[in-house]
Amino acid sequence: MNAPLLIARRDLTELARGGRLYWMGGLLLVLLVTSLAVGWQRQRESQGERARAQALDYADWLAQPERHPHDAAHQGMHVFKPEAALSIVDPGIAPYVGSTLWLRAHRQTEVKFRPAQDATGLMRFGSLSAAWVLQLLGPLLVIVLGFAALSGEREQGTLRQTLSLGVSMREVLWGKALALAAMLALLLVPAGLAAAPAVLLSAEPGARADAALRLAGLAAAYALYLTAFVFLVLAVSAWATSSRLSLVCLLGLWVALVLVLPRLLADASRAWVPSESRREFDRHLGADLGAATQQAWTDRFGAGKPFGSGVPLSQWGAGLRVHDQAGYGVMDRHFDALWDSYARQQELQGWAGVLSPTIAVRALSMGLAGTDFDEHRAFSTAAEAQRRLMQDLISDDLVEHADGHGEQHFTYRAARELWARVPPFEYRPASAEVALGRNLQSVALLLGAAVFWVVIAHAAVARRSHG
Amino acid sequence: MLSPRKDLLRVVRHELRVLAADRSLWVVSALLVLLCAYALANGLDHSRARDRARADALLEQAAASDALRASWRRVMTRQEPPDPWANPTDPSLVGSGLATRYATLPTAPLAPLALGQSDMLPDSYAVTTASRVEFMYDSEIENPWNLLTGRFDLAFVITYLLPLFVLGWSYNLLASEREQGTLRLLLSQPVRLGAVVAAKVAVRAAVLGVGCAALPLAALLALGAPLRGPAGLGLLAGAGALIAAYALFWFALAVLVDALARSSALGALVLVSSWVLLVLVVPVALSLGAALASPAPSRAELATETRTITAQSLARFADEFGSDYRHVHDPELLLPKNGRFEVPARLRAFFRASHELDSRLELALAAFDTQLAGQQAIVDRLGVLSPAIVVHEALAALAGNGTSRYQQFQFQVAAFHAEWRRFFQPRISEGLAITEADLDVLPRFVWVEQAPASLAKETLSSLLALLAAAALVAFAARRALARYPVA
Amino acid sequence: MLMSIAAEKGTAIAPALEAVGVSKSFGAVRALDDVSLGVRPGEIYCLLGANGAGKTTLINLFLGFLEPTSGEVWVDGRRVRQDPLQCKRFVAYIPEQVMLYGVLSGYENLRYFAELGTGERHAREPLLALLQEAGLEPKAADQRVSTYSKGMRQKVGIAIALAKRARALLLDEPTSGLDPSAASEFSALLEKARADGVAILTTTHDLFHAQRSGTRVGIMRRGRLVADLRTSDLGTRDLESLYLEHMSA
Repeated sequence: MNAPLLIARRDLTELARGGRLYWMGGLLLVLLVTSLAVGWQRQRESQGERARAQALDYADWLAQPERHPHDAAHQGMHVFKPEAALSIVDPGIAPYVGSTLWLRAHRQTEVKFRPAQDATGLMRFGSLSAAWVLQLLGPLLVIVLGFAALSGEREQGTLRQTLSLGVSMREVLWGKALALAAMLALLLVPAGLAAAPAVLLSAEPGARADAALRLAGLAAAYALYLTAFVFLVLAVSAWATSSRLSLVCLLGLWVALVLVLPRLLADASRAWVPSESRREFDRHLGADLGAATQQAWTDRFGAGKPFGSGVPLSQWGAGLRVHDQAGYGVMDRHFDALWDSYARQQELQGWAGVLSPTIAVRALSMGLAGTDFDEHRAFSTAAEAQRRLMQDLISDDLVEHADGHGEQHFTYRAARELWARVPPFEYRPASAEVALGRNLQSVALLLGAAVFWVVIAHAAVARRSHG
Repeated sequence: MLSPRKDLLRVVRHELRVLAADRSLWVVSALLVLLCAYALANGLDHSRARDRARADALLEQAAASDALRASWRRVMTRQEPPDPWANPTDPSLVGSGLATRYATLPTAPLAPLALGQSDMLPDSYAVTTASRVEFMYDSEIENPWNLLTGRFDLAFVITYLLPLFVLGWSYNLLASEREQGTLRLLLSQPVRLGAVVAAKVAVRAAVLGVGCAALPLAALLALGAPLRGPAGLGLLAGAGALIAAYALFWFALAVLVDALARSSALGALVLVSSWVLLVLVVPVALSLGAALASPAPSRAELATETRTITAQSLARFADEFGSDYRHVHDPELLLPKNGRFEVPARLRAFFRASHELDSRLELALAAFDTQLAGQQAIVDRLGVLSPAIVVHEALAALAGNGTSRYQQFQFQVAAFHAEWRRFFQPRISEGLAITEADLDVLPRFVWVEQAPASLAKETLSSLLALLAAAALVAFAARRALARYPVA
Repeated sequence: MLMSIAAEKGTAIAPALEAVGVSKSFGAVRALDDVSLGVRPGEIYCLLGANGAGKTTLINLFLGFLEPTSGEVWVDGRRVRQDPLQCKRFVAYIPEQVMLYGVLSGYENLRYFAELGTGERHAREPLLALLQEAGLEPKAADQRVSTYSKGMRQKVGIAIALAKRARALLLDEPTSGLDPSAASEFSALLEKARADGVAILTTTHDLFHAQRSGTRVGIMRRGRLVADLRTSDLGTRDLESLYLEHMSA
């Protein structure tokens, strides 16, 4: 049997006999299982609820009586963002973005009803999820299990003894790494296996393969993440002159990388790429909309304020169409600018993933789970497309049928067949490949972090090759 | 000549010397002061931005008010024809946006201390006669990724990082003397073990207290005028007391574990685990528990109900909605006659429909408030399980950025909305034109701050919870010290 | 009711340090078994015995670090159990390894312990004089203790004891690890203290010094005091042979 395996086996025995594995690992396992169970229940409930509400909504839309189409546009239709199957593992930004969008005439609105607004301030501490446990507590477990892996052996004198038998420090390093990895696997693989059927069941029948792919991706991402930390811990354990120093340094590093750095980076990105306040956004959007619609109106109907006395009722439908379509470009510009600023902020923070693997894995985890902002943006865009479809359909119908009635414009009642021309809203989240493609930066940084710490660990043990 | 007080001072002086000589004093203080300064700067920045935004909104409101008045005069003196969509004599238009009305929440004096919910919940609402659903579901614009990350404010430093400073600096108060070998010589002198420990804790507590409480609070006082005077000083004292009590808890825990642990490494592990449990796990678990115990009503159902009611109103007022827009082309119809103004049927219908929507949604919306209050009650009761929760929520409340103050704000805005509606209701239904006198008495939003007594009571109960926890642990620590094996 | 040996025997000089029928058990292990001894002022009592015989446990009892399972320990006529602080005021303790605060200088360490030990402030000059009396080079007094050798640290320990002007000294293996000249310096200091009327209890492996400088000798074996006699009563017998005799019994 080769040296690393022997070393790993001995280490495993020692870890299994010690108390650390059981209480810290036990806590982690309990939290993981709880979060998965709760997440599954929540996902199932809310997905079912949304699907029902969506169907009901469309049924109501179709069941509208004959009425002036513009009124139908005011009643509008609701669309609900589907809950990703993998939100069981990583709910991502879900508490801070809404899930309901009311599509109505004239205005693009934002997705409403953030769960965080229906919760107490306690929610700002974080939400219990498998991702939270793995990202925050996983490294801590590695630290607790491995801080004395090399420094302890040196202090006890057993390292010198091992080396005197002809085992190289590299082999010792890999043996220790194997032991730590085995411990982590012992805890996490069962949890992962328990999560798999839950995830697959939650996915739509057609999207099961995609969900499985995403789950595999997540498993790989977290494996890389914890590997990076395994070698980080071993590097510090090799470098530190005492176990106590090793523990203190590692805890300090953990606090800095996992707790402090993300917040600092959020501040930095906010300073670098500021986004407007709600009032400013609404005001600028309103001003630009006013200008654009006025311009379009003038171009089409000559001078005069929109819907003013200059335009007869016989052109009301055409007027609505001009008015609404003039707004599309403006709204796209403003919302895109806002969402682009979010994306740039996140990208900037992402580059700091070179320092902290936690940032890289966070982005990747959300991306693979389909609960990141890209996904939300795609949904918002698709919903807006649906809204414009509905609005244009109605404007066209008005131009065709109501404008001819002159002063009696508003007595026109559209037939019910018109409602059926608006298709039901169907939203398919992007595929796993696309999600991966959007997050290549994080993948690269995570891989880079793992490689980096392997290299550093080797360098650290090389310096201490005399034991 | 045994004098316990002098002994305490001697150990204090000695401890200061040792800590200064091994540089830990400078490193720890510098790091803490740096973190607190950054956090405070962050908080000040955010609060100032909110203040500016509020001032802007009020300026805009005043300017719009003047513009409206001027427009009214011009229309009434026939200097210009009224715009059908911006007719200053039309009560339905004045109420639904022509008269810009903002309901704003001022920042509390201690707002820079803890950002709380202020980065997510809006500070101002533009109130119109339209239904509440039109303007009250909005939230502040902030990158959800950043919301998820959390803010670097003083409350973060206190809640998460201060315990680490305390634990890191005191986990081996006695263990270090023991491992260094000086404990036996020290305790062979006529000085009590308790006095030695108390002195060591006092030194560290004083340094940390200055760094994370005295300095930031003094800085706030120096920079913020609203804190001068008895009320402001009371707030500062409350914040200082909360921070001190929280730190005391962690000091007591460090001493307890130090007294019981066989080695300093083991003690460190136990303390880190306690921190993880109390600061990371319990709050998150409690948040989940509270949500499970008092779950929010379904927003999807609310959305459906909103739409259903809207559809029913559209049906009910179909005729009015379907009426013509003749008036648009007839300027004469747009001017008041003998103080009367016939509001176009369609606009009347909008008003009545939105009113109906609100009154029918009242119950459903109230259910959300009830559930949130229920969750908050659970958090208040069970939050004592973790001092981190107590101090975090208490600081947010002191800073005026807690959930309850925002709920109060929303409640008052809803009430103002009703008042605004009530002003226009008779004018719309009875067809009365807007007069200049009306423009003078348009309702304004006045924020009613919660009574200082209730905030004081809240803060006091949080303080007591923290002190009780600290006392419990300190009691156990004392007993452990009494049995501390010196030999 | 356990009474002091002096009261029982009615001798004129009361012992400064006294153990009466003391036993100490740690769980199943009996570290001390019915030990009785007394050290009078002006006596140097050398306690001999193998490692683990209970010598250090006895010292810990006198210092109040432990409480006896049965029996009583008296210091200056006071029960240690009842008034530990006052008893600590009375004695001075020099451990085998005098460990001090490494970041502070010898002088600063002395000042700290002396102030705690006596409850009074001390001026610089007298403390420096004490260090010199203990044998420490003057220029070493202001250097960090982390640079000191074991002997230098021990000299600081002696200076602390001197500063306390204690009436009883508890020494744990004082000459172990010292070179012969330092050991002999130390013995000279002890003799001076003894002449001043200080009661000295010392544990030691150094049979040579024990026979030369000690007033009384006690031999401990597995928690029991198996011999307790004056060195003057030894006569021509070699202490070593006596010791080995008891150890092999």
